[in-house]
Amino acid sequence: MNILVFIKQVADTEARILIKSDNRSLEIENKFNLNFFDEFAVEEAIRLKAKVKDSKVTVCTYGGKKAIEALRTAIAMGADQAYLIDNTDLDTEDPLITAKILAGFAKKEGFDLILCGRQAIDDENGNIGVMVSEFLNIPHVSAITKLDVVDEKKITVENDVEGGKEIKEIILPALLTTQKGINEPRVPLITGVMKAMKANIPVVEPTSLGFAKDMIDKNASKIKVISYETPKGRPPVKIIEGETPDEKVKKLIQLLREEAKVL
Amino acid sequence: MDFTLSEQQEFFKKIIVDTVDRMVAPKAQEIDEKDEFPWELWREFTALGYLGLRYPEEIGGMNADKIMCMTFYEEIARGSVGFAQSVIMNILMGTYFLYRFGSDSIKERCLFPAMRGEKIATMCFTEDQSGSDLGATRTTAVKDGNGWRINGTKMWITNGPICDFCTVLATTDPSKGLKGLNFFLVEKGTPGFSSGQVLNKLGCRGTVTGELVFDNVWVPDENFLGDELGKGVIYVGDILDEVRLMTGAMALGIAKGAYNEALEFAKKRVAFGQPIGNYQLIREKFADMDTLMNAARLMIYYGAWMLENGMDSRLIAAEAKMFATEVCLKVVDETTRIYGANAFAYEYTPQRYFRDARFLLYGGGTHEVLKDFIGRSIIGKL
Repeated sequence: MNILVFIKQVADTEARILIKSDNRSLEIENKFNLNFFDEFAVEEAIRLKAKVKDSKVTVCTYGGKKAIEALRTAIAMGADQAYLIDNTDLDTEDPLITAKILAGFAKKEGFDLILCGRQAIDDENGNIGVMVSEFLNIPHVSAITKLDVVDEKKITVENDVEGGKEIKEIILPALLTTQKGINEPRVPLITGVMKAMKANIPVVEPTSLGFAKDMIDKNASKIKVISYETPKGRPPVKIIEGETPDEKVKKLIQLLREEAKVL
Repeated sequence: MDFTLSEQQEFFKKIIVDTVDRMVAPKAQEIDEKDEFPWELWREFTALGYLGLRYPEEIGGMNADKIMCMTFYEEIARGSVGFAQSVIMNILMGTYFLYRFGSDSIKERCLFPAMRGEKIATMCFTEDQSGSDLGATRTTAVKDGNGWRINGTKMWITNGPICDFCTVLATTDPSKGLKGLNFFLVEKGTPGFSSGQVLNKLGCRGTVTGELVFDNVWVPDENFLGDELGKGVIYVGDILDEVRLMTGAMALGIAKGAYNEALEFAKKRVAFGQPIGNYQLIREKFADMDTLMNAARLMIYYGAWMLENGMDSRLIAAEAKMFATEVCLKVVDETTRIYGANAFAYEYTPQRYFRDARFLLYGGGTHEVLKDFIGRSIIGKL
């Protein structure tokens, strides 16, 4: 089985992020990781490879040179090869463009199954997987929590629905996005780390996938970030004073009625 | 001058940081509280293959350069120094002489299993009356037939009570002082070899440290680890710089762990209506800590770079060990001040860093011995 995994390198949840003075761009501390939900996709691909004979796991990202680190992490975990589609000078704010490029890569590379995280934890868009499957005209299931192979052409997946689970059968090729709970991503073995350190990661120019530069550059974006804003600070904590618990409760009820207006 | 890490070193650092954050750091408090060797973590962690860090790929190692080794030592100590000590003993001191001088059979029996974490290694220098003063070693090895008969007691042995084998320093000729010192391999199960008292330590808990007793222990000639008799102290010199830099890197790791906790606390703890990180006296502490840690880091990695490039790193290694450890002591102290009274409670982590830091004062040479060595090296014989 030819398995493709699309990943994204995102800022670490603990990285310091500042809004630059133009209000339209961010200054991010140099701490990046493989996207949380993509780790599940990589892990699931590696587990599938162990189960299905003659399988190959190829990982790909559309990002800057720095993203090679995230690709190496996937190789350290057990992926066979990785490609960087270089977005230097082409950084887009429109996920549709990213999806087009990834779909272009998938067409060129060939695949039986595509896995990716259900969303990136930086922009939280959660739409790349869906859009790639549309461009490729293949079935898609979001946020799967289980994957079983029936045969070379058929798989079953589970995803959570309100109050239960939904189990589906899917004819390959297909695209699935992974949700927390599907697996426990492994800590890489040192043999994997060594392989990853030495791995040659080819850099693909997006224009080589059949896109003219003006189709994918910033001007082609139909979505533009106008500004970033920090969350509003929380209102100060109010400590309810009183001699006795009874008195405090009375005051609390009064405030909930008159100030918060929730009673 | 180029201070950048290579892409490989950068990647290795990232992986080891993640691994420690996921596997080791969450267990640190429990390891300290229980003060028992964390067997389960040992099995999980060693299965990843890091114990072969320094050794060639052909024998299952990683062939990591010295910069990567320091990164590893620093990060694992940041996670849990109690666990780090046991791991590093297998990686460095506990296996060094076996790799360098061991026969194929010894390597098969001891080195390779130790690199896989299946056997626990240790190295025995210290005795009740001698540590830095190796010339005062009283454990003896006397030629007996096709082997050696060893008698003596070793103290403060990291992994000692649980080790599967040890490299023991003994004198074959007490009249020769330092020139009479040699190393021998002693394996668990050898008649007369046993573990004695287990020490109840202030810090670095989780590492089992204690006494090893050699009561008329006989080992075959194969177990003599060296090219020729009397060169033991020279071999110590060959590994000493790396051990000192490693100790400095561990100190830096503890400091970083404490500093991170202090930083989180300073951002969240509110006093007089605002986070304490807004107060200048608290900010000053972070300015000082960051400056000192950066200085220590530069020294350690500069030393590692010299070592990697075959340069004489004796002075810088001694200085870096001493400086980084003193910096660590300062940082763990400041952390307890930033944390306030909570730092004094076992429920919180600063007290653990505070206790752990003290142990690094002794390993790799006390600072009194190191200062004398540094001063003597600079001034020379007058």
